[in-house]
Amino acid sequence: MSLAIAGMGWITPLGNGVDAVWEQLLQGYEAIAEKMSEQFSNRSYNAFRVPESALGRLAPHPRLRRASAISRFAAAAGLQALQAAGVKVEPQNAERMALVFAISNGGVIYTKRFYRDIVEAGAQSASPLLFPETVFNAPASHLAAILGITGATYTQVGDSAVGLLAIRMAEDLLTNEELDYCLVVGAEEVDWLLCDAYRRWRLLRLAPPVEPFNKTARGMILSEGAGAILLSRKGPIMIAQTDAGAHYRKRTETEEIVSQTISNLAQTEVDFVISSANGTFIDEAECRALRRIIPDAIVYTAKPAVGESVGAAGLWQVILGAQALDRRELPPLLHVTSTIPLRVPASRTALTKARHAIVLSCGVNQQVAGLRLSIP
Amino acid sequence: MNLLRFKMLKSAVENGKSTNARVAVVAAGVVSPLGFGLSETLDSLREARDCVTRVTRFSVAECRCKTAGQVADERLLKDQPEAGRARRLHRASSMMIYALRETLAQEPQFKPELTVIGTTSGGMSYGEDYYRSLYRHGSLRDSPAWIANYPAQKPVIDAQETFEISAPCQVIANACASGTNAIGHAFECVRSGRYERVLTGGYDALSELVFVGFDSLQASTPEKCRPFDRHRTGMVLGEGAAILALENLDAARARGAPILAEITGYGMSTDNFHLTQPDPSGIGPRRAMERALQSAQISADSVDYINAHGTATPFNDAAEGKAIAELFGRVPISSTKSMMGHSLGAAGAVEAIICLLALQHQFVPPNINFRAPDQLADLNIVANEARRTALRTVLSNSFGFGGTNASIMMQKFEA
Repeated sequence: MSLAIAGMGWITPLGNGVDAVWEQLLQGYEAIAEKMSEQFSNRSYNAFRVPESALGRLAPHPRLRRASAISRFAAAAGLQALQAAGVKVEPQNAERMALVFAISNGGVIYTKRFYRDIVEAGAQSASPLLFPETVFNAPASHLAAILGITGATYTQVGDSAVGLLAIRMAEDLLTNEELDYCLVVGAEEVDWLLCDAYRRWRLLRLAPPVEPFNKTARGMILSEGAGAILLSRKGPIMIAQTDAGAHYRKRTETEEIVSQTISNLAQTEVDFVISSANGTFIDEAECRALRRIIPDAIVYTAKPAVGESVGAAGLWQVILGAQALDRRELPPLLHVTSTIPLRVPASRTALTKARHAIVLSCGVNQQVAGLRLSIP
Repeated sequence: MNLLRFKMLKSAVENGKSTNARVAVVAAGVVSPLGFGLSETLDSLREARDCVTRVTRFSVAECRCKTAGQVADERLLKDQPEAGRARRLHRASSMMIYALRETLAQEPQFKPELTVIGTTSGGMSYGEDYYRSLYRHGSLRDSPAWIANYPAQKPVIDAQETFEISAPCQVIANACASGTNAIGHAFECVRSGRYERVLTGGYDALSELVFVGFDSLQASTPEKCRPFDRHRTGMVLGEGAAILALENLDAARARGAPILAEITGYGMSTDNFHLTQPDPSGIGPRRAMERALQSAQISADSVDYINAHGTATPFNDAAEGKAIAELFGRVPISSTKSMMGHSLGAAGAVEAIICLLALQHQFVPPNINFRAPDQLADLNIVANEARRTALRTVLSNSFGFGGTNASIMMQKFEA
């Protein structure tokens, strides 16, 4: 089936809009980490956050008056993707567009606030205004209402691979000829509670930098924002193949599952790979698998610059891959602190003849997926 | 012949054409307050058991509602072959493992290419344990296990791992419509010819946060759950897990698999009215049901029974009842949530199993605690007792927060 990217939207701590974020990455900039303090102890964490000043300007809409940051990120990215494609949802075509939303931790800020009230002051203090925003599909519901989508709307939950799994689902949906478009949005918001959880899971670094493919996995920095791509059947960047991968049972199996996904996607030429390396155990698994199967491909990850945005991460990677194919260039890989046995772009790298890219998403909670981007 | 037809469908899909393959349910498993397994569930339905009891998992002293449909932990753990592992897993995982074991016991050769499961809150109670321990400066020794077992995909992966299945998982969280959306999407995946076998269903385990959340909205009731009753006062929550094994019907018949029923249609809509309330006109549910009819290519008068979403909240039942009365007239309907509560992400899947049992055993399950009809809609409620009747086609509804509405059509298999 023919699947193409018709438009993209990107909200990150490094900037707002595909061109703005891309330019920052090309210049070798990284987001500024914001310190967050834990509520119950002296511990503090660093995360890449969308600046408070930018948040208020994102997608001003009455529906979002009480909504959490995650819904604002998603709405802004979704609207950008539609605008980039020159597509408007009108009542007569509202059923011909589907929405697939990718999420991992969801509306964690309101969920924590809602439960905090219960723990601190009892069930009678629970806010009926906050509770609906704690539901996983609240951001998708807001976005569907803002855009006027009345047909299929799905929220898919998973780890960092969920963005690519959502694209796979969109591909399944688009086999139905009654649909013209599928908007795929991934979004996440950060809170100290998430930082604490990932630290206890031994996956978090307390402060940047994120060192990709380092011999010692020192951990990731969490991030927030949203990515959106509008999928149709025609467009300049094609999604030539999706692979819904599989799950690994133990961390020691990660390389094997990643290898299967790469092998499935690398049946034809691969010029570069947008990896999901984020400073954790998955870096080694991806590095070994890539080195063995496609040693000549250039490998890039933006996570040292923009962090690990979990539910949004897969969409960010696809946007990066599509931009790199379109602009024929890759940004420099930041914070390379040890010898990496892969071809990585130490500086801005021209991709004069590049036509095929793999996007590889290996999540920290067992899920792996990938896809292949191509330009005709 | 069947195999040849299946190969032709595959070829059409590879050439970018969607197909209209028939979709069979070849196996199913369930655990819910109605019982462990299909047989106990059937008994509870026939006997119109009220399986809602006082909540024991957490304090409900400050809540209006004190009851829920609950799955007994002792039995859940006892029925797991690896009791040690089961204790480490979230009880949602244990429920999923139970439901999948029952499914695979019927069809050990079923190897899914994809798994699509609905849920609303994953391992939420582990998130609660973690937050409470942080708040009280209590022991966080177990926190890595709580955090690792909290994500919504974990019970699905745990269940698959138990039976050495490694299919990709799509975990759908469309609030209370999740289970029906999961089954509907799985149905479309097989019907389109892109997949031959898909495992689908839904799960949710009771949690304090969600219980208090519905209580704060005053959506849950301190009384009995009375769907479609004139004096209904709200819902009660439930929990459970249910799984259905879907397969291309021709492929299933070619290998001699039993066909329990067919799924023949799926419709969904998004009504964009309000985050927690349905459009009172019933347009959202109506569109979902109309699309399910279109998808199944049948008229409304072909439907013999509707398993309604029927939460027993004043708004939901009014909107759904209006839509059903307008579209279907006086077709028999019941909400089985009256017996076991609303199991959220599991609800659509458990209710699909109830429809399956109704088709197999030719009866309509009851809507218990029913006293007086609502004057707002003229409905044929299956009040308080199961009815023996001939059933060929049934519809199951699920509607959720965010205006997500989903309906699936199921049909008795006729060769």
